[in-house]
Amino acid sequence: MSHHLETHSSIVKRIIDGSLTIDSVGEFENLLKVFPNDPGLHRALADLLARQKSFDAAADAYRAAARYFIEAGMGLQAIVSKISEWRIVRPAQQEGKAFHVALCKGISEDTPVQRFLAQMSYPQMVAFMVQLVRIRFRAGRVLKKFGGVQNDMYLVVSGALKETTYHPLEEGGRVHKKTTIDLVDNDFFGDIYPFDGDRVSESDVETITRAELVKISKPRLMALCEKYPHVERLVNELYKARSELGGEIPSPTVRKTARHQLPTKVSMKVFREEIGKTPLFLNGFTDDISLGGACIILGATYQTGPSADMVGRKVKIEMGLPSAAMKLHILGTIAWSKEVSHEGKTSTVVGIKFEEMTDPDRELLEGYCYGSDGEQNLIWSLWESLVKK
Amino acid sequence: MLKNKTSLTQGEGVALKESRQAEKKSFPKVWAVGGGKGGVGKSIISTLLAFWLTRMDKRTILVDTDLGGANLHTLMGIKSPPRTLNDFITRKFASLEDICIATEIENLRLISGAGEILSLANPKFAQKVKIIQNIFRLPADHVVLDLGAGTSFNALDFFLVAHQKIAVLTPQPTSIQNAYAFVRNAVYRRLSQLSSREPSLRALVETAMNPKNELRVRTIKELFQAIADADGTDMVEALKREIERIQPAMITNMTKDTHDKNAGRIIQLVAQKYLMIHPTDLGGIVYDKQIDRMVSEMVPLTKLDQSSEAFACVYEIATKLL
Repeated sequence: MSHHLETHSSIVKRIIDGSLTIDSVGEFENLLKVFPNDPGLHRALADLLARQKSFDAAADAYRAAARYFIEAGMGLQAIVSKISEWRIVRPAQQEGKAFHVALCKGISEDTPVQRFLAQMSYPQMVAFMVQLVRIRFRAGRVLKKFGGVQNDMYLVVSGALKETTYHPLEEGGRVHKKTTIDLVDNDFFGDIYPFDGDRVSESDVETITRAELVKISKPRLMALCEKYPHVERLVNELYKARSELGGEIPSPTVRKTARHQLPTKVSMKVFREEIGKTPLFLNGFTDDISLGGACIILGATYQTGPSADMVGRKVKIEMGLPSAAMKLHILGTIAWSKEVSHEGKTSTVVGIKFEEMTDPDRELLEGYCYGSDGEQNLIWSLWESLVKK
Repeated sequence: MLKNKTSLTQGEGVALKESRQAEKKSFPKVWAVGGGKGGVGKSIISTLLAFWLTRMDKRTILVDTDLGGANLHTLMGIKSPPRTLNDFITRKFASLEDICIATEIENLRLISGAGEILSLANPKFAQKVKIIQNIFRLPADHVVLDLGAGTSFNALDFFLVAHQKIAVLTPQPTSIQNAYAFVRNAVYRRLSQLSSREPSLRALVETAMNPKNELRVRTIKELFQAIADADGTDMVEALKREIERIQPAMITNMTKDTHDKNAGRIIQLVAQKYLMIHPTDLGGIVYDKQIDRMVSEMVPLTKLDQSSEAFACVYEIATKLL
């Protein structure tokens, strides 16, 4: 799995998930200088270029995104980027085959969806890709309702959704929630297999964050399976894997992408380029943090001119982690900054790329981000994001 | 190899059997209302739930299992309960039914805890089993157990035997932490019960219960991996099936806005990830000044204004659970 994706995703996550909008190609180019291999960033740039009708440049960016997604083992995301590229520039067969080879070689088989994609032959994969429909939803949208007839299978490309399953009543009502599970990247939903008869949904599915999905309709999947019996076997395995796991499919990829924000109070010393100038001292909260960097929302005390002026400056961050007695100090560089408005207030958000840190500091941060006191950290993090006013 | 029921101690096995038989026969449905922290409203929610059950024409018995600090009788407007669990334990009365006290509410009876007898705060194992067995024999449609604060074995054991396990919390971080600790301890307690006759398994479970254990087993998932390595996957599958049955339902009490209602969801998300169980989030009960005042002034909840918003929230929850 790509280390780059893991370490950089915290910084660009807000851009990719749409909570931070960047509407200038120049800003993307600056970011790509800092994170040249981040597939999500290339993908976001490609979408912007496509919206601006710079189709050639968009195709290049989609191609780059697909390449880096494959390097990160993220086959579904690579396929979706490739679909977008091929809708702009029709591929030569050789290019298509090369993509298929790279995909099968690079795809991580952590989840049933990834395994499903990895085991298709080239013609099968192309036939499957052609039938996929890309869709995006805002947070809070109900995509599938309890009691409705299911006609599509959905694959989650990015974002988080919630599936609530109910115990059905014979007379058609619903009672008692059975389970609620989160669906994230590389999960799927929509019970359309086995194909015989109409299936009534026993669950609601709602987006928790902005989400991108691809769907394939039942008739189209049936036609594909009829043409390629091997695909039907793969579909069968896909649904079997889910039922064996009771609807929830845990995987390393899912854990990684489903990582929650960890709001942590930070003090930041921003060094000035001019010799002899006193550094700026700022306070804020991390909006997200990983081993590679952090996204920090600066406190109200930051009122020193355009935030873009800070890009490229060296910083020293001090963080008090709930799981550690000592404070953590990390050196880094401000990779980007942005003014964001939320509920009528404007704040400055900066993305920090961390420099190399000492082993003890790395261990401390690793423990905080990934788990030794994970339960406590997650409770605090969720409290900050879900309950705290 | 885990032998399921046979791996329980005899008393626990009998209690579990009673619990399962109750599902088949006309024994009462048992509800347990717990949660780690004191003052989150467990007794009030137990009482309001019981009120609603009686309104639905269900014969209901409220049991104060807070053996060290019983006070449910006060909420019911009974100053000095004539009979308590202590009278049952000391054999003054032969059955739990004999110590039931009538209340002002039709169809609702109360079994008072044993506040004045400090020794019962930590009853002997056999006494606890006797209480549990008799709860399932009570002549009622529903029995609501109001559990004591904290995560004592008593509270956890009453919680685990109930058909409907409810954990109450408030939107404060400490309450959320405590409620999570309660649910987490319930899961480990169940694992501990299940492994009681398997020394190596029990040792692993007990080690894992220390969050800073040297084996670096931090989650149930990691514990299952360690068990799979030691005893094979069949054992893990059997344990998984058992803990999946726990399914606690979370109620966030005293919510003041929509954000507050998310507190239960926190437990749900963290427990799904770390405990491999699937709690349900029943939503919130709004903060009600009237109830606050009544508790402070020791006015019985039987006098609660029927238009109380909190009372309406409890109704919604009761209907979801029935």
